[in-house]
Amino acid sequence: MKFLEKEINKSPLFGLNGSDTIKSLQINAFKEFTRHGFPNRSWEDWKYSDFSLLNNMSFRFGLRKNISTLPNPFPEINNSNRIVFFNGYYQKDLSSISNQISIETIGETYKSNPELIHEIFSPHANPFHNINSAMINTGLTIIVNDNEIINEPIHIINYTSDIDEPIMNHPLFIMKIGNSSEATIIEHYYGSTNIEYWLNAVTKIELLKNSSLNHIRLQEDGNSSYHVADTEYILEKDAKLNAFHYVSGANKYRQNINVNLNDIGASSSINSLCLSKLKQQHDHFITVNHLKEKCISNQLFKYILSDASSGIFNGKVIVKKDAQQTNAKQTTRNLILNDKAVAHSNPQLEIYADDVKCSHGSSTGQLDDNAIFYMRSRGLDFKTAHLLLINGFAKEALKIISEKNINQYVNEQLSYWLENTGVT
Amino acid sequence: MLEIKDLKAAIKGKEILKGINLNVNNGEIHAIMGRNGSGKSTLANIIAGRDSYEVTDGNILYNNKSIIDDTPENRALEGIFMSFQYPVIIPGVNNAYFLKAALNAKRKHQGKPELDAVKFLDLIRKKLKIVGMGEKYLHRAVNDGFSGGEKKRNEILQMITLEPNLAILDETDSGLDIDALKIVAEGVNKYRSDDRAIIIITHYQRILRYLEVDHVHVLIDGRIAKSGGEELAETIEEKGYGWLDS
Repeated sequence: MKFLEKEINKSPLFGLNGSDTIKSLQINAFKEFTRHGFPNRSWEDWKYSDFSLLNNMSFRFGLRKNISTLPNPFPEINNSNRIVFFNGYYQKDLSSISNQISIETIGETYKSNPELIHEIFSPHANPFHNINSAMINTGLTIIVNDNEIINEPIHIINYTSDIDEPIMNHPLFIMKIGNSSEATIIEHYYGSTNIEYWLNAVTKIELLKNSSLNHIRLQEDGNSSYHVADTEYILEKDAKLNAFHYVSGANKYRQNINVNLNDIGASSSINSLCLSKLKQQHDHFITVNHLKEKCISNQLFKYILSDASSGIFNGKVIVKKDAQQTNAKQTTRNLILNDKAVAHSNPQLEIYADDVKCSHGSSTGQLDDNAIFYMRSRGLDFKTAHLLLINGFAKEALKIISEKNINQYVNEQLSYWLENTGVT
Repeated sequence: MLEIKDLKAAIKGKEILKGINLNVNNGEIHAIMGRNGSGKSTLANIIAGRDSYEVTDGNILYNNKSIIDDTPENRALEGIFMSFQYPVIIPGVNNAYFLKAALNAKRKHQGKPELDAVKFLDLIRKKLKIVGMGEKYLHRAVNDGFSGGEKKRNEILQMITLEPNLAILDETDSGLDIDALKIVAEGVNKYRSDDRAIIIITHYQRILRYLEVDHVHVLIDGRIAKSGGEELAETIEEKGYGWLDS
């Protein structure tokens, strides 16, 4: 914890450009965090993710560096509507955005909407959220105005590389999709360094009435990194969220996802594909709140676990008293490729309304020997049969991605991962 | 083409096949009949190379070479095909993609150029007609959501696409209504030629009405208890298997 205390006022965003109110909120958030410290196994909600090891580490804010190009194999998902951060610093020359979309710094958002920032910086149940409020050093706000259809995806790239010592980044992303607007936003984390770093992201996404958002979150941080994320979705009347969360990076990863279906007719679908190998630990903690009637929620989380990795899924769907005619479904499926890999799945339902349709399910298994033999008996070799079967398992989760380039990108990343995971 | 010599096999230490001898020549259709648990499916699976069975004695020669130690994929590439009694569902793997991959693996093995998507589609459309399947089956996952009859037709589709030299049909006729049965039989008849052989494993004489069978064998308790011509199948239809019990 000490290293954080030393760094708190060194963030370029401390006080969001000189506001004392914000500074005191940030110091409060830090105090809130220090009351309990980093979560460890004795915390019920964190029992598989012990982060107390961060106590003995020391991360600092990285130094500003500018890059003129993105390295290969960086995805060219699209050329326009791209926002690039390198080691936490905005890269103006690599970024471009159409004028249909408003971009603000978090400081600007504080000026235009102080209540929102106050709310985000207030004490939070998630300790990493509090750390983010205290330490925020990067991020931005994306606003899609009312009645705008944004065809080109907005690609936010958080690239970490070329560092000499362990660095940390605490980005805050605020996204607001206006009434009856449509957009696709890719929140992309990518790292290529063997040096440890810590990424602690908070993302708050608001979908106003009748709006529609495809949110693609790609977590491909370096294999020695720690990635913690707090992602909140708020859906107003008839809003529609399609989210896909791809996870293959970081040594230790924990994402809290909160979905609030605030008003009638909102619908949210979240699929995830999680690829884990070596000693990676990938932990999802999800809460879906059905607050009003006629809302729909779907989650499909698929883990492919190799080597001595572990995949953790904790999902809770809460249907409040007013949320009649709720339709909620939660599914998690684990494919274990190696005897040493472990899956922990815990889907839960809490229902306080009586006219609802809710289901949840979880399964864990290995590749089906019968299917492997079937394919081999048609002339496909052992490795091809394995790869086809694993790909087939993953594909169900990818169906949610309607944007062709993104689908192709994830497919390529999956193939690359499989080629390098020693499936034999 | 196929020579099985005193084949003995066990699963988890339990002996299932207790000395099978069988010769199948080019151009012939053999039917193997028998009750449940007599070892019919075990025999088919061992020829195809399933490794959950342990071959304890004897040999299987295919084109005069022992295949006992061959992988299932090698046997397939060399021309052996088994239609599964219970075709396996492969979630997420597109039927057309699977067929094309299998066909191209075989073509590659034969030193032929692989088929591109257009040529494959031309070919597969003709094959689909033979088994009375629509193109929609190409775009579904392998056997996923297929009815029992559709799964069996899909097996025959694979057979006539991959054009094996030796086809073993493991109870392909069971669970089929009469129309589906006719379609399957027609597929087999179209596939039949002087340089190919077929082994039909069945409970019933029914499918044999639509096919001209050269030899019928009755398997009882892991041994071939009786062999004969087509008339043997008729006798069994009439009398059952009891009269063959020793």
